[in-house]
Amino acid sequence: MNLTKIHLSRRQALEVAAGGALGAVALRFGLDEIGPTTAATVSAGGWPSPLGTQRAMAAHLLRRAGFAFSQADLDTAAALSYDDLVDHVVSQKPARLPLPADLTNHNQVAAAWYSHMVTTSAQFPERMTLFWHGVLTSDYRNAARLPFVYQQNVLYRKAGLSDLRSLLASVTADPLMMRYLNLDASTAAAPNENYARELMELFTLGPGNYSEADVREAARALSGLRIQLVDSTGARIAAPWYTKANAQAYADEVNALVRSGATFRGALVARVHDSGTKTFLGRTGNLGPDDVIDIVLAQQACAPFVTRRAMTFFATPNPSSADVNAVATQFRASKYDVATLMRAIFRSSAFTSPTNYRSLLRSPTDYMVSTMRVLNRPQLATGAVRAGAGMDQVLYAPPNVAGWPSNAGWVSSSTLLARINFATTALAHGTTLPDTAAAVRTHLDGVLGRDTTAALGAAKTPSDRWFALLASPEFQLK
Amino acid sequence: MSVTRRDFLAAGLVGAASGVMVPPVFAKGVFAAGIEGIHNDRVLVVLQLAGGNDGLNTVVPYADPAYLSARPTVAVRPDAVLHIDSSVGLNPALKGMKSLYDGGQVAIVQGVGYENPTYSHFENLYVWEYADPQRAQTDGWLGKLLGSQIDSQGHPLSACALGETSTPPELRAPTATVSVIDSITGYMVRGGATRQATAPALYRNTPGIYGVLFDQALSTAESGMKTLAAGASAYTPAAQYAIAGATPAANSLGAALQLTAQMIVTEPSVKICHVVLSGFDTHQAESTRQTALLTEVDAAVSAFMTDLTAHGQADRVVLMTWSEFGRRINENGSQGTDHGAAAPLFIVGKPVTGGLYGEQPSLTSTIDSGNLKYDIDFRSVYQTLIRDWLQGDAATVLGATYPELPFINKA
Repeated sequence: MNLTKIHLSRRQALEVAAGGALGAVALRFGLDEIGPTTAATVSAGGWPSPLGTQRAMAAHLLRRAGFAFSQADLDTAAALSYDDLVDHVVSQKPARLPLPADLTNHNQVAAAWYSHMVTTSAQFPERMTLFWHGVLTSDYRNAARLPFVYQQNVLYRKAGLSDLRSLLASVTADPLMMRYLNLDASTAAAPNENYARELMELFTLGPGNYSEADVREAARALSGLRIQLVDSTGARIAAPWYTKANAQAYADEVNALVRSGATFRGALVARVHDSGTKTFLGRTGNLGPDDVIDIVLAQQACAPFVTRRAMTFFATPNPSSADVNAVATQFRASKYDVATLMRAIFRSSAFTSPTNYRSLLRSPTDYMVSTMRVLNRPQLATGAVRAGAGMDQVLYAPPNVAGWPSNAGWVSSSTLLARINFATTALAHGTTLPDTAAAVRTHLDGVLGRDTTAALGAAKTPSDRWFALLASPEFQLK
Repeated sequence: MSVTRRDFLAAGLVGAASGVMVPPVFAKGVFAAGIEGIHNDRVLVVLQLAGGNDGLNTVVPYADPAYLSARPTVAVRPDAVLHIDSSVGLNPALKGMKSLYDGGQVAIVQGVGYENPTYSHFENLYVWEYADPQRAQTDGWLGKLLGSQIDSQGHPLSACALGETSTPPELRAPTATVSVIDSITGYMVRGGATRQATAPALYRNTPGIYGVLFDQALSTAESGMKTLAAGASAYTPAAQYAIAGATPAANSLGAALQLTAQMIVTEPSVKICHVVLSGFDTHQAESTRQTALLTEVDAAVSAFMTDLTAHGQADRVVLMTWSEFGRRINENGSQGTDHGAAAPLFIVGKPVTGGLYGEQPSLTSTIDSGNLKYDIDFRSVYQTLIRDWLQGDAATVLGATYPELPFINKA
């Protein structure tokens, strides 16, 4: 990305920035709110960037490491130096997901997660969980009558903040993943290549960094994993037996077991595991699942591949190879420590550059969570699960194993209308609304285009002003 | 949408400043000087059967003993097959398709595929959507056609994805403008007149790298909403799209094709429509599931053709089906079939020269341990549709030339 610094008056810079699109800004929502600057920097393609100020940098970080925040949160954050704030954010400990009534019900688990994303004070762990859900993705339709979506959500919240090795080891034994990519049906006699292939192609290395023979050999090494139920001490216990006639009793029993600490997890069953000699990415031996992960992590391609996915999600739509490699080197040197990765990304110039302002497009989940947060309306969480369908994102129902679209991929004439209509739905609930002028400063940094300025000026009621804010292009971006 | 000088300048500066992506309008500005190749009133409707439709149970080689022996539980019973000739026939769920075939309006292209197939959904979707078995192209084949030969000006309704929410990859290209309309009732700004006026006004001059994309999506939506509102009174369906007693979910394709008919009848600029029906990945309990899906296809396509005829539009519409792959010859252990290779597809419409094209692949001389060899490269089908139906230039879209099939009636 080019760094374009234009030393002009702020007004001139605005005019230049977008061919006049950022014209007169209504006084009430004026850019004066962001404080005086002597040199304006034009961000990626035209928004005047406020990122020269500590307060705007804090907002930039909180919006991308979390979702949305209150003015008081921003006051606190902006009092720290940027580096201290980064440390503070990446060391946040996740708060437990409040249990939905039925842990086997996808809608309820997704609604519980939405609600949690809206209400938790530890936003960064939720953002990381959402990231891993898009990378190491799975589909709820593989979890019929079992608490697999809930378990994977809990797993990614916990392991997703540790290191890549622990994460991949737990994902390989995660029942939803095992079903989604057919590990649970892979045997020595008929190794299923699905997980082996995607582990390398989509999760860690990218195409071109392994051969078809490597896929076959990894599949052999990964064969024989089966889903078992263990109690809170790790001892294997019998799983309840489902029949149509006992559906309710079965659901009750599964819920009771999980609440008591039992979990479903993958275990290597010797009888169906291929214990022969395999050669995978140049290593030969009686390799098993742990070896596959260690060998994958030892590949040069691994750190840059995972780093690029993280930078595309958190930092900038098209990170340069130099930017990626600078971060990837730190990630690898830390033995794939996730906090190190994220600290490096948040401190990278690709992230902090003034030209990087509003370079990311909020995902539907991000948009809805942020809307619920700024309006303080977590009760919309259940509706958000359904509303996501119109915007192309139902959690745990990704379009395919490559995970979610990103940035421009979220935009169609249909999805944009769905976002706009969600704003109307969100505003239809409740009567008291926060002050809009303060919201423009806190949530949009006071940086408004001409259209949004005009719409806010023309709006006659608080609800109409909030509609203009939430439906605006500014609020879709971060 | 028309590109004003101001839009052009603004977009140009955006592109130059960001170096990240070239906004569509900027590209359009450049291409607008070119001359579009396609000037006619012909419409192509693309019906995607997502998940990998089992070709062998769609166009059934009922007389081949190898068919029954490979599929002890999932084979279609030979006496139930709707005979096309002495060797193949249609799945009994396709009664309407059979009647259209008997009327000379269905071309069945057999054994469609490509060399060295992959067996992954993801990779095959890419192959078909981007017309590229190497999976290196970045623009969808219909998007390329649209942007370069049909409508580089970005008329919002030249291409429509109907009954879905995201832009189908085959229609994606920097120069392609696509209306994505999930449903008539959903394609609106809710909340009253003020909101309806405010929403589009928020997206007129959006700055930033997403500005053009946003503004175009909303201006596309705005035009589409107006057309739908006007069309609602100008169009009444002349056919029964819904299957009596079926759930709305089981009539989703009918709803999408009814919307397609409405768009074709009421909006003359419509050239390419995309609809999709999902659920064909029948690894388990195939017979029940595929029968339900093919019943839905049959009812929806039959109603669509009846409706177009009643509205005097049948001469200008051709519908093509496709699926990312066919399925394995041998059934698996769960009364289903796994991912396979070549499969038949349908070309439907009054302008079609009906009949069988290509050869049914052998069930015994196979590739990759029990998969069908292709006979017709799928790009032959694309090329025939581009050249003989839409009268465009196929080579610039496909990057090469393929043998054509005479399924378009040129008389």
